Amino acid sequence: MSGIEQEWADFHSYVERRDVIFYYVGYFSQSIIAAMADAVKLRVEQTGAIAQTRRKLFSSFIEMAQNIVHYSADSYQKEGQGEASMRHGAVFISHTDDRYYLHCANPVNAEIAERLRVKLAHLRSLTMDEIKSAYKETLRSETPADSKGAGLGLLTMARDASAPLDFEFSAPGPDGSSMFTLRATI
Amino acid sequence: MDNLFIAASASSPEVDFRFEERTLSLKGESYPENAAQFWGDIISTLRAFLAHDEVAAPITVNVALAYFNSSSTKMLFSLFDALNEKAEAGTEVILNWYHDEEDDTIFEFGQELKEDFADLVFHDHAVTS
Repeated sequence: MSGIEQEWADFHSYVERRDVIFYYVGYFSQSIIAAMADAVKLRVEQTGAIAQTRRKLFSSFIEMAQNIVHYSADSYQKEGQGEASMRHGAVFISHTDDRYYLHCANPVNAEIAERLRVKLAHLRSLTMDEIKSAYKETLRSETPADSKGAGLGLLTMARDASAPLDFEFSAPGPDGSSMFTLRATI
Repeated sequence: MDNLFIAASASSPEVDFRFEERTLSLKGESYPENAAQFWGDIISTLRAFLAHDEVAAPITVNVALAYFNSSSTKMLFSLFDALNEKAEAGTEVILNWYHDEEDDTIFEFGQELKEDFADLVFHDHAVTS
């Protein structure tokens, strides 16, 4: 095998071994999300997932991707522009033994990390029935001031998942930000 | 009042509010970058129509949304709240709620609307894909 063929084979075998069916790392914007949404839909359909699973995966994918646009600490700023509309993160989907795993990662500042930690730890303590009633309650309540997603995003992911949401934060760096990773099982 | 028409985009639905005909339709997927703004403008226009409308004839609302993200969900709830107030005030408001027959999420959201907005005449339509 030639050099580039070998490189490709190494990469491809790793992807196959880890059952990765979709991977993206880079900047997230609304138009990038819309394009990826098409790709994810096709890819998941191709793997033979039933309609309900496809819808849950799609829903969780959009919530994760839009969270990156709203909350990633790593933003792309063009000179002279105010608030960033592109932020850095990564997402991958793997498919093992009839289960799909949706992972996302992005840096977050200390304040957002703490808020996420509290919310996610609470969600993990709830049963599916409790998640559903919390969802209904949040739907009818006033939108919290610190939220761009009406506080429903994580609840939506928890509701669509077949196991509690897994999350971790890396040790904070010198600027106080840490890497946030989230995994939804569908 | 002028009709409101917004063509569908990759991440936002077609909005076709024909006030003269008293038919309001939504169709497509909804995950715009800023759902509060997208839906906020639509809700303001709708509220302006409802406030000045003195025709007693029924209003028909057709909703065929295949997907909406969490922030759109919240805004849709306010939209139906506005319609329910109109129904409470005495105008018949018919909500035709279309969803894929296998889509439990959208079916269940329709049931939430039916429960909360009891003055709307709610018709569930399961569509075969």
